[in-house]
Parts: sequence; structure tokens; C-alpha cells
Amino acid sequence: MKSRKLTAGVTLAVVGIAALVLAAWATGGGSRTQAAGGIVGSGKASATKSVCGMGTGHKATGSPIKIGTINMLIPGVDFTTIAKIVNAYFECVNDNGGIHNHPIKYIQYTEQLNPAQESTLAHKLIESDKVVGIVGNTSFAECGTNWKYYEQKHFTVIGAGVQAECYSKPSIVESNMGPRYSDLGAAQALVKRGAKSLIVASPSTLSKYADANVVTYAKEHHIKGEAVPVVLPVTDANSIITHLYQLAGNGGGIILDFTPDTAPALMQAAIAQGIVNKVKWGSSTPIANEFMAKQFPQFDNKIFINQEFSNLTKKGPDSNLWRAVNHKYAPKVALQAFGQMGYMDAKFATIALLRIKGPITAKSYNNSVRTLKNIHTDILCKPWYVGNLPYHIPNNYDVTVTYDKGKVVVKDKCFAIAPVDKSIAQTRKWEKKYKLNTH
Amino acid sequence: MSSVVAFSVFGVDWEFLKPYIVLGLALGGVYALSGVGIVVLYKATGVLNLAFGAVGAAGALIAYWMVNHTSWPHWLAYTTCVAFGGAVNLLYGVVFGPAFAKRDPLVKMIGTLALALILLGIMAWRAPAGGAFVRVLTLPSSTHYYTVFGARVNLTQILALAFAIALTIVTTLFLRYTALGTAYRAIANDREITATLGVPVRRVEASAWLGSGLVCGAAGLLLADLYTSLDYTALTFLVISSLAAALIGRLESLWLTLFGGLLVGFVQSILTPYGSVTAYRAATPFVLSIIVLLWMGRRRVVVFAPSTR
Repeated sequence: MKSRKLTAGVTLAVVGIAALVLAAWATGGGSRTQAAGGIVGSGKASATKSVCGMGTGHKATGSPIKIGTINMLIPGVDFTTIAKIVNAYFECVNDNGGIHNHPIKYIQYTEQLNPAQESTLAHKLIESDKVVGIVGNTSFAECGTNWKYYEQKHFTVIGAGVQAECYSKPSIVESNMGPRYSDLGAAQALVKRGAKSLIVASPSTLSKYADANVVTYAKEHHIKGEAVPVVLPVTDANSIITHLYQLAGNGGGIILDFTPDTAPALMQAAIAQGIVNKVKWGSSTPIANEFMAKQFPQFDNKIFINQEFSNLTKKGPDSNLWRAVNHKYAPKVALQAFGQMGYMDAKFATIALLRIKGPITAKSYNNSVRTLKNIHTDILCKPWYVGNLPYHIPNNYDVTVTYDKGKVVVKDKCFAIAPVDKSIAQTRKWEKKYKLNTH
Repeated sequence: MSSVVAFSVFGVDWEFLKPYIVLGLALGGVYALSGVGIVVLYKATGVLNLAFGAVGAAGALIAYWMVNHTSWPHWLAYTTCVAFGGAVNLLYGVVFGPAFAKRDPLVKMIGTLALALILLGIMAWRAPAGGAFVRVLTLPSSTHYYTVFGARVNLTQILALAFAIALTIVTTLFLRYTALGTAYRAIANDREITATLGVPVRRVEASAWLGSGLVCGAAGLLLADLYTSLDYTALTFLVISSLAAALIGRLESLWLTLFGGLLVGFVQSILTPYGSVTAYRAATPFVLSIIVLLWMGRRRVVVFAPSTR
């Protein structure tokens, strides 16, 4: 009797463990050995070739230079991709002589939209970890929580922004233009194509900031404009998409401002409700990638995505190096706009580090960051800069792309984001006055 | 024809609300399905299973992998998802059930939270989310659409609702008319006395874990499809809506749980077009369960200290 029970117990345990093992095995990649190959990013930089840092092809062996980051990771939105590519670029720099033989040590933390946690992590990075700089931050709220602290510490954070403070405070500069201007770019693309209304849906936490320009732009063009905040994670995509369609009406425009964690639910719902062809679709940058293009052929040439950077397949020195770095150092991360942001953040920080004469400290690094201007990259329409400004919006020109047979193709070449708010107008005056991106 | 129906709710006409009602009921069907699975287990073992969503999500990820990375038939992937739910629940019930049997309900519940977190960890490790990569698990039934009152629903949504109703009917009959069902009810009343009467309590409880797990796997499969992207974190936390349904059913009544699930989906959907409240729709499960709990407790008197008079 006892042995029967034992046998039954063991059988159950084996079944259970097998199920768990199957789950673990089935659900993903696991760690893989990085592909062997030549040294990515080595050689001499030129007009046609970008390299990682010094490009020596030799591993840096000196004492590490610490750089840190804070990325948001919540159900429905994962912003750690940017830091993964920042890390990939820094690894490439470290394999190519580092910063005068000093490797970069990249310290990454995630936060869950908790201001206390965001503040603690910023203090930890600067005061405990003793980082010299902060690079690659992305969050719905972290800029707002920490910009003042960064300013007090004389840090200038290079990141990829989302909320208002990322584009309105002196201590933060972003490689992207953020949802407010990307949504506006999508609105410009839809109005150009005759949209009869502009309805924009964003995560509720940033809707007020991100969507305001679209509504204003709609008013300027005498069409209906409305913002719809959406609480994440989305659980009832069909109802939300029905609501957006009712607001937009036939021939109207719907702009989706979501990451690839959330946008597919709404796009799938649009297909399910049979409204793909009834309205004009727009989107901010995050879904401009081939994976999404392959997943949603129904939106081929029907969705106009504002792309804050060059198209993912563009040939150019930085575009080529970004893809090579992505493939070698972060093979699990699909090529996407977040990767471009991470690449640029890391590249700009590396330029600032390499320009330092003397010891690399928090003071010397951040001073160097503030002197950056006219930094050319084929990933952006115009050169990037920082400068001693009250706020920074260095990325304010972009392109429109769409899906076409599994590819992402350009529909509108580089165009200026409309100066709907005074920040963009003022930014363009500063650019001219201080020659920030003019040569 | 549609103008014949003329009533308004909050100043918005029936025509306007019809698609939201249909879509809400379709969504509510899945909440109800999960809720019924939770209640059946609770009735038999006293365990409120917080891992319900995580187990379903893990099963759905396995099915996704089988569909997209093997040449195995799709039906095998779907069956594996359901079987995975049953196996994990059964394993947990057999290994930890007896150890937790005499502990209070809160401890039992926290035990399942641990299971949920372990599964979440495994999923985050083996199937990291984020970036441009999106997992989509579309069931064959989702390509068949029907237009009901202006809203398009697919066969999966209809099946989910039908499954929830069928499960409620079958489980109600099972509990009332079978020996095992009687044993469940007896254990729910008093585990010790039931054991002294010769009922193999552990085996009966194991069968409840298995049954609930199979429902959990099926719900995971349906939710992964209906949620349209296989986001395991979101799927794990969708259990909140199902718990609200179970609470509306007072963790006792399967029919009230069914009703609760449909109510949560219905209210959540119907609030969508109202600008002033649409941002708060996510709170629907909490608000409804609080209202129902207050309603149920309206005749009870709470005494904080003995009277001094």
C-alpha cells in the first residue's frame, strides 16, 4: 500500500517537473553563446564608416569607468531594450580599446513607475555606485522625479524621453523627440493624406502631455481632434478600438501611441472589428519595425508611422554599425527604433568621454556632454547637440514610414515637426543662434 | 428596426451602446470561466488560487512555442496547454496541499502567490518580453467572425462564453449528483470529519486541483487569443478580474460567479465611451467586488468592543 502511494507520488512529481521543464525549455531562448566573428566596430572612422569608440580592436584592460541607467519595466511596457543596446555599444567600445584603455562598466536598474524607487535609484547611481554619467534612461515618469536632483549634481543625462520634463529641463537631453512630437508628426502625415479628424490614443500616464499637440494641430486645420487616454495593460482592446472608430468616423484619422507590447492588441482588434480600411491610421515611432510589419500585413500602406530616426534598413555608417553591434552583442533584441535610440545615446556618451582631457570624473564627463554640438549621424535627419540650454529638443525633424509586404518603407522623407508649441519654435531659434546643428 | 428600441442610459442611446454590450459580454465570458475555475477549487480545498493566470499564461507560451517552432499539429499544442495547467496545479496540490491544509486561508492563498511568482520568473527568464518582438497565439476559431448588434465577435469569444456557461452547468450538476461532488462539498464543510468518514480527502483534493488546473489551462489558451498579444505579465494579472467574479459569487455560488464575470466585462466595456470615467475602467473589478461585499454584509453588525452599558 505504502509503495503504491510512493510510486504514485513519484509519478506525479515526475509529471510536474517534466511540465515545468517543458515550460522553461519551450518558452524561449535562454543564454546562447554569442556568435563568433570579426571584431565589430574596429578600424578608422571615416565619412563612410563608424567605429566603436577608439576602434583599436583590442580589449580595454584598465580600471572601469562607471555609467548608469534607470529604465521603466511595467506590465504592458518594457523600456529596457534601449539600455540593452547601450550596453551592447559599450561592450563594443570595450572590445575596441575602451576609453583610452578604460572599459565602460554599465550599471542598469529598472523601475516600476514608483517615484520613491526612481529617486532612490538615481541617488544610488550617483552617490553609492559613483557613476560618472547616466545614459539611456527611459521611463514614463523618471525625468519628472529626478531632473532636479540631476541638476543639483550637475549631471546631464543622455536618454530617450517620454514625458514633459525630458524636454523642458536643462539636466536632460534625449536622442529621440518623444511621443508628443512623434504623435504630431503622425498627425501631419494623416492630414497630408486627407484625414477628416484626428483621434489620438496614448497610455493614460502620458496622454495629457503626449496628445496635446495633435489636438491643437487638428484645430488649426479645422477638423475634429480628441485625445483618448488608455489605461495599461489593455484588457478590452475591442471596446477601445470601437470607441476610437466612433470618435474618428469614416475617413477620420486614428493615431496609436503605444509600444509593441500594447499596439498589437489594438491593431488586432481593428482587424477583428473590420475597420482597418475605414479610417486612416497613424502611429508614433515604436512600432516601426519589420516584425510588426510581418505580423500585420492588413496595415500595408494603411498605417503612417512617424519614425524619429532613419529607416531601420538604411545604409549608412552609423546604421550599419548599429545593426552589427545589435547582432553581435544583443542577438536576442530585434532591430527596432529603441535600438537606434540606445545606439545613439551610447555613441554620444562615448564621444563625450573620448573628448575629455585629463581624469574622467563626473564633473569632466558632464561638462564634456554639455559641449556636444553638430554631432553627425545618419540615423537622424539633422546633427545632434546638447549645449547650455534651458531645455533640449535636438531631434525635431523626422520621416514617415509604413508597412509594405513585411518591410518598413519610407513614405515621407525628412520633414520639420510643425511648430505647434513654442518650445519647437524657440529650439529652432537657438539652433540658428548658437550654430548647434548647422554644419 | 433599430429605432424601435428606444431607451437611453446616461443620455446615450441603445444604438451607440450595443457594440460595447456585445464586446463586454464576450470579454466577461472569459472572466467568468476563470472565476468558476477558482471557485471550484476554493470550494473543495479552501485555497484561493492566485496562480490561476500565471499557470494559464505559461501553458499558452508552451502552446505558442509548439505552434511557431515545431511542425507538430496545432491541436497537440492546444491540448498541451490545457494539460500543462492540470499537471502544474496537480503537482502543487499534491505536494503543498497537505502541508497547507490546516493553515488559515490567507496562508494557503500566499502559497499560490509564490507559485505565480515562480512561474512569472521562469517566463521572464525563458521568454523575455519587450522590444519589437510580439508573441501572438491565434486560435483557428478566431478567423470566423459574426456581426452581432453592430459589433464583430469571433468564434473564440462565443466559445469562451459558451464554455463558461457549460462549465457552470456541468460543475453544478457534478457537485450535486456525483459521489465525488458530494465529497467536495463535505470537505468544504469540515475536512477532518470528512476524513474520519473514510473519504480519501487527499485524493479528492488532488482531483479538484487537477480539474481546476485543466480549466486554468483552457482559460489561458482562450485569454492568450482574446487578449491578442501573448503578454504573460498582463495575462497573469488578469486573474484580478476573475477574482472579482469569484468574490461576487461569494466564493460559493457558481452561477453568481458566472454572473459576476459577465458583469465585470459588461461594465468595463460599457464605460469605454464615457470620457469622464473611461480612464478608471481598470478599477471595475475592485469597485464591483467592493459594492457586492458591502451589499452582502449590509445586515451584519460590527462590534469593536464589548458594550459598557
